[in-house]
Amino acid sequence: MTLIVQQGTAGPPADRAIRAMFEDRKSVFVDLLKWDLPVLDGRFELDAFDNEHATYLIIADEQNDHLGSARLLPTTREHLLGSLFAELCAAAPPSGPDVVEITRFCLSRRRTAESRRATRNRLVTALAWYALETGIRTYTGVAELAWLQQVLAFGWECRPLGPPARSSCGTIGALAIEIRPDTPALLAANGIWDMVEPAISIRQAA
Amino acid sequence: MFDRVEAFVRDVRGLTTEDELAQALAEIVEELGFRYFALTHHVDVRRTSTAIRIHNYPEGWAQWFDEQSLGSSDPVHRASNVTSIGFPWSRLPELVALTDKDRQILQLARRHGIGDGFTVPAHVPGESHGSCSFACAAGERMADEHLPLAQLVGAFAFEAARRMRRMRFSPGPVQLTDRQRECVMWAARGKTDWEIARLLGVSEATVGEHLRHAYERYGVGKRTLVAVHALFDGTIGFLDVLRR
Repeated sequence: MTLIVQQGTAGPPADRAIRAMFEDRKSVFVDLLKWDLPVLDGRFELDAFDNEHATYLIIADEQNDHLGSARLLPTTREHLLGSLFAELCAAAPPSGPDVVEITRFCLSRRRTAESRRATRNRLVTALAWYALETGIRTYTGVAELAWLQQVLAFGWECRPLGPPARSSCGTIGALAIEIRPDTPALLAANGIWDMVEPAISIRQAA
Repeated sequence: MFDRVEAFVRDVRGLTTEDELAQALAEIVEELGFRYFALTHHVDVRRTSTAIRIHNYPEGWAQWFDEQSLGSSDPVHRASNVTSIGFPWSRLPELVALTDKDRQILQLARRHGIGDGFTVPAHVPGESHGSCSFACAAGERMADEHLPLAQLVGAFAFEAARRMRRMRFSPGPVQLTDRQRECVMWAARGKTDWEIARLLGVSEATVGEHLRHAYERYGVGKRTLVAVHALFDGTIGFLDVLRR
């Protein structure tokens, strides 16, 4: 089990974990959740935000296969809450060098429920770890309300950014998550904290 | 009105007792146009000491409700087990098939002064289902424009109550070995020990042994119960069982 931190992407990737991530993203967001998203070669879910500014946190197994991942977008550039979903925020969407947007939180459907739950915990842990390592203080994101209770139950500090609204992909709302030095302890108290050894260095896009 | 909800979310984070939470809820539900709230796990509260239950329903109604052990069979609770998004009670007939007894319960609630309502389901994998309901006094109109905010209040209030509970009771999760989990998954799919033994390439006695250990870990003595417990806490998934 490894945590891969990948900076940016350059087209359909050769790396197995990343390729599988885009395939699993299609399976989850297009096939299962029916989001209206572009699909590349009928296999990969990749959009305009999958560019050199995106950072990917990927949990991969020993064979370098994708188990789960999240895409992080800087809020100092164009991002979802700043553009497509701005109306979900009561005030201006939080932005700045220490504010990062979480998008495409994805768990591979090719795994069992138990494995997905373990991956979910590792990915949430990786998000908190990465924020503390790199000076991110706030994560923002758009969440389907159906997941809200689960996101709150991780134990980290969340707050709503505006009233929820109906959309083509269900009732959605904007959230902010504050990451502080005590976040790992809060996650641990809820049985979530599970740190996976990160791959040696932060990889740069080719 | 959203700033009021923001303040509520901030305030409940610092609360430590259920009485304080009840007070905060009583104040905000009134501002959202409701009279009553009920935040509860869907279990028979007289039997489950760790269950959450905070409400300001009229005394007579709450007592009758508990005496009938309605925690898990109440139509509103049943409906909130089949959806993850808040729903007005007017949608109940779309969500669950209402029985004569359900209609009697709803009528009786009205007689106790409880009118239209809105329920926010609260599902945390591996824990009892729960919900946070808001109700108007009978005869008063529900403020539809506030329902998205009620959805947020319900979710954050439930998490606050959950945190308070966790500080008092902290049961460790049940852990099965991979082999035990596989046996439980096949048992849940209706396979006999003999069939599971063939599927996994081990002896029938070994399968029996794995299942017995799984029973012990959940503290149950039956095949069906171990399957239900493992489904409930997410050790096995519904899709694992229903897959063809």
